[in-house]
Amino acid sequence: MSIFTSYIIPVIFLTVLILSLVKKKNAYTGFLDGARSAVDLMAGVFPYLLTIMVAVEIFRQSGVAGYLAGFCAPALNLVGIPKELTELILIRPLSGAGAIGVLENVYTAYGADTYIGRCASVIYGSSETVFYIATIYFSQSNVKRLGPAIPFALISTFIGCIAGCFALRFL
Amino acid sequence: MASSLAALLIASPGTAVTAMTKGSLDAVNLAIRLCALYALWLGFFSILEKTGISNRLAKLLRPVVKFLFPGSSAETSKFITMNMSANMLGLGNAATPMAIRAIKSMDVGSAKASINMIMLIVISSTSLQLLPSTVIGMRAAHGSVNPADFIVAGIIATVVSTMVGICLVKGYAGIVKKVNEKRKTKNKKRLSFSTRNTTSNND
Repeated sequence: MSIFTSYIIPVIFLTVLILSLVKKKNAYTGFLDGARSAVDLMAGVFPYLLTIMVAVEIFRQSGVAGYLAGFCAPALNLVGIPKELTELILIRPLSGAGAIGVLENVYTAYGADTYIGRCASVIYGSSETVFYIATIYFSQSNVKRLGPAIPFALISTFIGCIAGCFALRFL
Repeated sequence: MASSLAALLIASPGTAVTAMTKGSLDAVNLAIRLCALYALWLGFFSILEKTGISNRLAKLLRPVVKFLFPGSSAETSKFITMNMSANMLGLGNAATPMAIRAIKSMDVGSAKASINMIMLIVISSTSLQLLPSTVIGMRAAHGSVNPADFIVAGIIATVVSTMVGICLVKGYAGIVKKVNEKRKTKNKKRLSFSTRNTTSNND
């Protein structure tokens, strides 16, 4: 499985390069043009990136997360998600790096092959940094009010996690 | 954010500045890393565009895009297609620039997000991820016997979350449409009422 998956992206790259040769398109200048636009893109995205990361760091350091975790744990237990994973669920939509840290702690504390460890893998693997996505995606547009985008994304991710953890009991 | 800053100030004022500094520094580090990844993937996408592969991929996925994002232009649906493909391959950093362009091309200058924009956020957040390579690597490092054994459950989770997300956005779109229609008919009634009034006054 892992050998197979490590081939996918290089093979896609190679196929595209061969195709551009066959079609006699200059892949080199094409690549340069695309790569050049990345600098402009990042210049536009950077202020948003910085703002959300400062906000997330303050949230994490403030201990509000820990307090919220204690508050949410019983509810999570009720829907079949181990209460040890409350912090992971809270941090995941905010910060990818923060969630990796929490996941690392879960593996160390409970082991990677326990039910808790496997649940944590499903939760991390099937969710995204929703707040980051919403901020960055809209960074180059006039849109200021996102409507129900973030709540919808969070609710559906959460229901998916419940389903995934439930499925783990039979797999 | 303000409330957690307040909580932080009460709990330990010393760490407030440290947290803000650390957040900014992390952002710069991430920006440099992301800039490199965006350059790599935007370069690759530009080759895709030149060879016409992106157009063909967009054509292939048109029925899906048409259902999820009704009324989007050819350019928008091309960006959406690329975004969805990259997300499925687990290449979140390749998906981001495409999504930014998709949103930009959907932008009509309104400050309010359109239904299609909300759909894009929800789809990207709940996207099916076929290769969660980060987690597999971490589990292997922690001595897991079969580090990839959660993938089926992960796929179930993402399929469920994507379906719930689509239903939520479609339901919301339906409600918005209904409310708008009601408002329209109300306005019409008011309009006809006022004209009747003016005619009666004229009498």
